[in-house]
Amino acid sequence: MSALRPYRVLELSESVAGEYCGKLLADFGAEVIKLEKPGEGSPTRRLGPFAGTGEALERSGLFAYLNTNKRSVSLDPADPAAAEALRRLLERVDVVIDDHAPGWLKGIGLDPQAFSAAWPRLLLCSITPYGQTPPEDRRHAQDLNVFHASGWGYHTPTGADESRPPLNGAGRFLPSYEAALDSAMCIVAALYEREGSGQGQFIEVSAQQVLASRVDYVLGQMVAGDMDVSTRRNALDLFGPAGIFRCRDGYAYIWMSAPSHWDGLRRLLGDPEWMKAFPERWLERECTPPRVAECRRHIAAWLATQDKEPVAAEAQKLGLTLVPVNSAEDLKGSPQYRHRGYLAELEHPVLGRSLYPTVPYKLSETPARLESPAPLLGQDTARLLAGEGA
Amino acid sequence: MTQRKRGGPLQGVRVVELTKVWAGPYVGKLLSFLGAEVIRVESLESLDVTRTFGVADINKAPGFQAVNPQKLSVQIDMKQPQGIALLKDLLARADIVVENLRPGAVRRLGLGYEAVRQVKPDIVYVSMGMWGSEGPLAYQTGYAPCFAALGGVSLLVGYEGEAPAGMNVRYADSTFGAAAAYAATVALLHRRRTGVGQFVDVSAVECMTSMIGDTVMESLLGGTVPLGRGNRHPDMAPHGVYPCREGEWISIAAAGDADWARLCEAMGQPGLAQDTRFRDLAARKAAEDELDRRLAAWTAGRDAAGLAAELQDRGLAAARSQSSVDLVADPHLWGSGFFREVHTSEGEARSIVGPSWKMTREAAIGAAAPRLGEHNAYVLGEILGLSPERQRELAEAGVAR
Repeated sequence: MSALRPYRVLELSESVAGEYCGKLLADFGAEVIKLEKPGEGSPTRRLGPFAGTGEALERSGLFAYLNTNKRSVSLDPADPAAAEALRRLLERVDVVIDDHAPGWLKGIGLDPQAFSAAWPRLLLCSITPYGQTPPEDRRHAQDLNVFHASGWGYHTPTGADESRPPLNGAGRFLPSYEAALDSAMCIVAALYEREGSGQGQFIEVSAQQVLASRVDYVLGQMVAGDMDVSTRRNALDLFGPAGIFRCRDGYAYIWMSAPSHWDGLRRLLGDPEWMKAFPERWLERECTPPRVAECRRHIAAWLATQDKEPVAAEAQKLGLTLVPVNSAEDLKGSPQYRHRGYLAELEHPVLGRSLYPTVPYKLSETPARLESPAPLLGQDTARLLAGEGA
Repeated sequence: MTQRKRGGPLQGVRVVELTKVWAGPYVGKLLSFLGAEVIRVESLESLDVTRTFGVADINKAPGFQAVNPQKLSVQIDMKQPQGIALLKDLLARADIVVENLRPGAVRRLGLGYEAVRQVKPDIVYVSMGMWGSEGPLAYQTGYAPCFAALGGVSLLVGYEGEAPAGMNVRYADSTFGAAAAYAATVALLHRRRTGVGQFVDVSAVECMTSMIGDTVMESLLGGTVPLGRGNRHPDMAPHGVYPCREGEWISIAAAGDADWARLCEAMGQPGLAQDTRFRDLAARKAAEDELDRRLAAWTAGRDAAGLAAELQDRGLAAARSQSSVDLVADPHLWGSGFFREVHTSEGEARSIVGPSWKMTREAAIGAAAPRLGEHNAYVLGEILGLSPERQRELAEAGVAR
């Protein structure tokens, strides 16, 4: 039995942050009931990647990924005619997850300040870009904007060319996934407390704050006045020859900060002449831009003749931290991912049989499981609104 | 001890950290922000390097202080058998242990899961490794940017048609820590309900892959994942970062045709919305170079914050790209209590990065990061019940100073 099996979650979310938060709970067995507007469904059903065939609202790979193990009920919580059905569902759930704009919950009768009078044991979690009381100039945001408001955007990539725009983070939804992680953690911690107190509570998570807290090691020093703040695009960077280099069959990343890394490189390259001109311990003590540039030039020329996997395996043996820059395709073939079962197979009625990414933590007693594919729109409506339960 | 009664959902939970640098300590930080009592086991013989960066005084290292507020520190020498015995006594009174030492290190110390389970059968044991604790690549080690490279994240960040540029070098450790903290709370809840502890094995590389889960899904479904799409987005256009005056940048994302029409009005060119070249998403995606050129020409020379406010007034998703000086001066982050003040045991005030959340019954956060061994008397005396003489003996033997 997985850890969250005894809990029921009502998901009002209509974007990635809330849907991923629901998924994180559903992975551990929580019964997550997703409300979707009749005939329309979640907006993520209309985002790709799409399967070539199948009904329009049932062929989104994004929706399929974000909603495994969940139930779908066709019900618009904002429709007054649905108020009674919504009320009955609220009687039966432990947690509500929402990711609409601040104020929306109050509009459907779930005022964050007042809901506990009617539902004292309920946990209500609201995930928004900037929290419940955003300033006037932060009422609207997509993930790109949150990434930039958090400080990550301005400083991406490392070693930025100041004349070119800062870059968005990886993929479409990284800020949403990050925000979901803190939200799921808070929900489970609050469930833990409720086992003793019997009380629910309101939890609000700001995606901007989640992302900014992910750079606490640096931002904490800045806010304490221990590190200079500036308008420099490289204000978060570490300096040195580390970076991504082209190989014969792709790219590799090299990290170099300590004498052991330099020695590893020397052995890997067969003690080349150019390395002899560098002083001992230059990485820590005399890491000047010209030396970094020269070091990078030699590494680049050599790595261009190598294949990423074999050169990384060889480097690891010599104590040099060099790794392949993997693609999704590479990860499919990773022996380590296979060993841990990170990708698991699931059959979806429209998308067919496919591998899905699972979770990055293996729990010995209560492992996460992919048990059922994302629901078809409204497939559980009759059963769950009739009050039969699961 | 006030540490035990700060409120918050995890009040009463005791966490022991055998962690170094960032990812492991970040787990303890999150749990402590939720109300847990978090005890770092440290020693001069095997010091966390972040206690030494940039300063002579190991109690004043800025990076260490940034990631370890509201924790306790006990100094126990894990290189001595007596130290290991003492640590096991502490683990017998703990609920969670978190370790992110090098692969195999805890087992060599006699502190692997099986050994700890002997003294505390229901422990929640959180093990953090680049690739997880077992498997063909588990022996490998690396730093945060390696996690991002291996997990598929780095390849996706870059300018169109160029080599990948990767995320900022600071990305990955804290995300790894947050995932481990979530898994720890799940295991803790299970223990509360059933009395059963467990081993939680977290992989940094997999944490990275989970941050691009939909992209991986696209590949698994047989699609081709485009590399380095700059700031572009398959479902929105315009979607980019545009230059403003004095080296500032603004991020703008238009989610649909209505957003585009409002943006055209903001630009003073309402007719542009009807222009067939930009009429719908497909058209705008096809003409995105031209679209981005027009927007950049319009934003150039404007004040980023003012322009963001103007666009927000029209209901558009826009935000200034915040530099470090913008962030530290962000009034919203101060007003919401995200940046907040704590105090060292000497009474010195210090600002920290607080929690990303608020909750009805939250934990008080008031203490700065601990000095090395600052809480020896509490841990050895109050938790382990050792007499003052015994504590003195241990100090003289260099076991717990």
